[in-house]
Amino acid sequence: MEKICSVTIDGKVIEASPGQTILEVARANGIYIPTLCHYSNTTNVGACRVCVVEVEKARSLVASCTMPISHGMVIKTDTKKVRDSQKMVVELLWASGNHDCLSCERNGECELQNLVYWLGIERPRFNIEPPNYKIENSNTMIQRDLTKCILCGRCIRACNEIQVNEILDFANRGNFAKVGPAFDNDYIDSECYFCGECVDACPVGAITFKQARFSGRPWEIKKVKTTCTYCGVGCQMDLNVHNNRIIKVTGNKDYIHPNEGSLCVKGRFGMDFINDSSRLTTPLIRKEKDGEFTEATWKEAYDFITERLTEIKKKNGPDSIAGLSSARCTNEENYLFQKFLRAAIGTNNVDHCARL
Amino acid sequence: MREPITDKTIPTMQEVPFFALQDLRVLKNRGLIDPEKIDEYIARDGYAGMAKALTEMTPDQIIQEVLDSGLRGRGGGGFPTGLKWKFAAGEKGPVKYVLTNADEGDPGAFMDRSVLEGDPHAVIEGMVVAAKAIGAHNGYIYCRAEYPLAIKRLSVAINQAKEYGLLGKDILGTGFDFELEIYQGAGAFVCGEETALMTSIEGKRGMPRPRPPFPSVSGLWQKPSILNNVETFANIPQIMLRGGAWYASVGTEKSKGTKIFALTGDVHNVGLVEVPMGTPLGAIVYDIGGGIPKGKRFKAAQLGGPSGGMIPIEHLNAPIDYESVEELGAIIGSGGLIVMDEDSCAVDMARFFMEFCVEESCGKCTPCREGNKRMLDILTNITEGKGKPGDIELLEEMASVIRDASLCGLGQTAPNPVLSTIRYFRKEYEDHIYNHHCSAGVCADLFKSPCQNACPIGMDVPAYIALIMDNRLEDAYKVMLKTNPFPSICGRVCDHQCQSKCRRGKTDEPIAIKFLKRFITDNAQRPKVEAIPVTRKETIAVIGSGPAGLTVAKDLAIRGYKVTVFEELSEAGGMLRWSIPAYRLPRDIITKEIDDIRALGVEIKCNTRIGKDIPLSKLESEFDYIYLAPGAHTSQKMGLPGEELNGVYGGVEFLRDFNANETAWTTGEKTLGAKVAVIGGGNSAIDAARCATRLGADVTILYRRERDDMPAAIEEIIATEEEGIKIEFLVAPLNIEGKDGKVSGITCKRMKLGDFDRSGRRRPVPIEGSEFTLNVDSIIAAIGQIPDLSFLPENSDISINRWNTFDLAEGSASQTTNPKFYAGGDALTGSDTVINAIAAGHQAAIDIDTAIRIKNNEDPYEAPKEEEIIIPFELDEDNPEAPQTKMPELHGHERKKSFIEVELGFTLEDALKEAKRCLRCDIELD
Repeated sequence: MEKICSVTIDGKVIEASPGQTILEVARANGIYIPTLCHYSNTTNVGACRVCVVEVEKARSLVASCTMPISHGMVIKTDTKKVRDSQKMVVELLWASGNHDCLSCERNGECELQNLVYWLGIERPRFNIEPPNYKIENSNTMIQRDLTKCILCGRCIRACNEIQVNEILDFANRGNFAKVGPAFDNDYIDSECYFCGECVDACPVGAITFKQARFSGRPWEIKKVKTTCTYCGVGCQMDLNVHNNRIIKVTGNKDYIHPNEGSLCVKGRFGMDFINDSSRLTTPLIRKEKDGEFTEATWKEAYDFITERLTEIKKKNGPDSIAGLSSARCTNEENYLFQKFLRAAIGTNNVDHCARL
Repeated sequence: MREPITDKTIPTMQEVPFFALQDLRVLKNRGLIDPEKIDEYIARDGYAGMAKALTEMTPDQIIQEVLDSGLRGRGGGGFPTGLKWKFAAGEKGPVKYVLTNADEGDPGAFMDRSVLEGDPHAVIEGMVVAAKAIGAHNGYIYCRAEYPLAIKRLSVAINQAKEYGLLGKDILGTGFDFELEIYQGAGAFVCGEETALMTSIEGKRGMPRPRPPFPSVSGLWQKPSILNNVETFANIPQIMLRGGAWYASVGTEKSKGTKIFALTGDVHNVGLVEVPMGTPLGAIVYDIGGGIPKGKRFKAAQLGGPSGGMIPIEHLNAPIDYESVEELGAIIGSGGLIVMDEDSCAVDMARFFMEFCVEESCGKCTPCREGNKRMLDILTNITEGKGKPGDIELLEEMASVIRDASLCGLGQTAPNPVLSTIRYFRKEYEDHIYNHHCSAGVCADLFKSPCQNACPIGMDVPAYIALIMDNRLEDAYKVMLKTNPFPSICGRVCDHQCQSKCRRGKTDEPIAIKFLKRFITDNAQRPKVEAIPVTRKETIAVIGSGPAGLTVAKDLAIRGYKVTVFEELSEAGGMLRWSIPAYRLPRDIITKEIDDIRALGVEIKCNTRIGKDIPLSKLESEFDYIYLAPGAHTSQKMGLPGEELNGVYGGVEFLRDFNANETAWTTGEKTLGAKVAVIGGGNSAIDAARCATRLGADVTILYRRERDDMPAAIEEIIATEEEGIKIEFLVAPLNIEGKDGKVSGITCKRMKLGDFDRSGRRRPVPIEGSEFTLNVDSIIAAIGQIPDLSFLPENSDISINRWNTFDLAEGSASQTTNPKFYAGGDALTGSDTVINAIAAGHQAAIDIDTAIRIKNNEDPYEAPKEEEIIIPFELDEDNPEAPQTKMPELHGHERKKSFIEVELGFTLEDALKEAKRCLRCDIELD
């Protein structure tokens, strides 16, 4: 049986399991603690320091994302000291970068912007002094503007811990710290696989989908949940649709399995074909040998298939029919396909393009 | 052997104070063994502690011994070492690590290096004991790569220990294994932080990890680990051998044993100093360190490196242990102890240390990465004169957030120097921000030259020195008169704060600015003074015709006001005329400069005491504003029995009487008798003593402290000694003996020096049974002066404090609590210098004029355009080292028996030679 400990957060007594962090317990109980560097499924690093809380008897403020609870802990998340500290940290981040929301792709879904608003900061008390980095524009998929980077390290952990590509890390020290591939190369000159995990991880507008730039504001975008068609894993993803066009694809984090919000380069970036003129949008039937394909309705297509398969099976037996399915169908579709051949047609002549 | 400061011969090394007062435990083998020979280490009890721990003690017993010793982490944290070991020992698991932090990176600290290079086996031995205690079989020494000799000697030591069976498999045949490796750090300060150090050994970027989990639970490669500093481990062998109780026998209640400090900065003896915990800071700085060179004043000590804090002069008695130091806002840290004298700027020091932390921040957490950088920006702005109101408060707020919210110790402690300098030197910050003034003369953007910056009235020293070189003495005189109404007086009696900040003084000796000033006034044609027409309706009365009163009068007359000065005595000049003797300041010199002020149109009414000859109320009704500068003309009483006897004089009273009745004194009509004792060590005491000796008396000065503590100017003390006046130091009067109502002697007690007072001088304490009586005919008590403010009626609304000086209105530098009255000079500050009185006069003139103009809704005063004087900008690159040019002086009988001016003044040759030494700090080269 799980050991239970009891903690008090903002006066509320809460039962929780040992090993849980303060942040986890608070969130599970509807108590909001802001975060920036916290990124689920990766190590808690306690870097941004916006999740600080006051813990009774602690020497200083405590980062709730890394501090495990202990029995009897008394935690306060909304004291003046906590808010002052959060404000200072957010002001410092704001002033350290080129956070010009007017043209920023993340305007409206930027975690820093949300925090500024939540904390009610009119202007930072510090001069805005972004570093002098050039925008990385050398590939077609990902744009990096490190003048907007808040050095939370989420992209690094996404790259190293989720995708295990190990391309990104911090370089340089202190105020000159910078995220990037080895030797400060552009992505295109590095070993980067362009999975785009870093883009999804970025809480601000530092790493963005290049194709999606200026194609639609977050609030204009409709997210359509779907399953990736590139392979059988069945990754759950959101097609970000605006004006009936997919402008970008993001991993769906609500539906945990199987991909937990991650995607690969194909799922994330391979959507150009959807609007291609040569893409099939309706069934085509070739009515006679060497004849032209002609457009048909689904009813016509199914009727034609049923009629021909029934006829062939009756005439030459089920083994005269074979099925070849695609790796771009889902696992479930492939299951159904073999079931159909074996049970409905009655043959074991079924194969798959990825079996080679 | 010779003592380095006094050059006294000392028989043995152990008797040199620098060594005598140290207690060598960690450094016991310092310089005595060949660190590359294990036999020599063993010969001095080496590995005996380890042998005892491995063969006679259980891990629990080892830990208990360390707990009993009270040893706390010497790397800076001060966490009890035994407790750390106990936690790690309590963890299950076959793999644990013992780590040594040899990533010493604090600027100026090198105790770990010294141990590693001089006694590497001590660390290895300590580590084996720790390994046994917690059950570890592997260890690393994380040593910075910048210590190649340490790494070499450690490697040699590890190999030799292995050869001898003292390390590696089956140590001493006990079956206990411990393998040790050196890991070289790549030079990141943050890797001294324990979790960053472990991350670095793991081969990753050295960044700290959040705690918990603590390293004793999950450290290197997530295994239970202990990390201790070099010095901590080097203490262990002796704790094993001699026991925890032995170790705890020195130190304070909560801080046991000894600690090594890296003493450096503005102190005579620098180097590693191992002293018992709780040794007072003053003892380290003065007794071991030998005090501050060049007669400068101690300002503060930075304790604990860049993450530490400053301990200022008023806390020299503070015992240096973990608790006391933390209370004062510093930390023991790894033991860096940087002594700073008065020439260090608190803001600049804070900026320097912050710059270090900013450069060494790893960049992981926001407060440290961004916050410390912004604090550095603010500090830099302040030192460049771009500070803004609110900066101090913002720094304080940032410091508190950064301290509370940073991830690791580097960030959390980085604001310490800022906090501690604001705590102790807030006024310096304000001076930088509001007055763009750096009193230490460090922040070069705030001034043209350090001498001008040091001058309370900002005299353009390099300009008039350059004009001497150009033989344009009249222009030089005019340059001086722009800021100073009394250049010929200041050329003789100024305390020349400018010279103490002269950059030339850092190489050989400062420029003789005072003598050059006098040379100009002695040799140039006096610029003609013309009366200035009265253009303003407001009238101003000045009470007191000393330097403060006359400066106000001159400044306001120039602005068109009618000014009347009231003087109680028969001639104007205040202390200049009535206290300073003629052999230092000839009377005609005073008269000429005062006459120049009269010539402007200022009326000086002598023999007029306010409150007696004219009631204050009359002045109040006749004048719009009244400036109070009555000076401090009453000697402080000693409070001794017999003080009322005939023949007991106050210092200023004697000097005044002498100056008023010189003939009576010199003809013997008035006499002090044959033997005179002068009590005190200030300029008045010296003046009185030198006067008395000129009247033929045998004079002894009795001073309760030592020569270095005398407030009198050093050249005055030297002159006193040259004139054959005895000075008895460390003597305090007890009782004045009398016969027939007249003084016959003075009984004194000898003193010795005790702890430090708030001024940083050692407090004299009486030596019991040391009483002695000196037979004297007269006693002059010159132990301080207080103002006589009895002329003020009780209902004047002018607040006077317990030192009998004026209180000022809040926020004003000259206005009293009654808005019609302004005040300055000694009556405001207590007995002070001429130049400070002049500065107070300038300030009051501005304040009075501004108040009038604000009241009348007028524009601020604009000074009329002055004649432009082009200053030569020639820089002589060939400026070889040369001492200050000596002032020609009167010697022998002529000097001792007369009141003729002692200093004869520079010749043209002297002046040119001296002026040529000026480095022209005012010239900015592009």
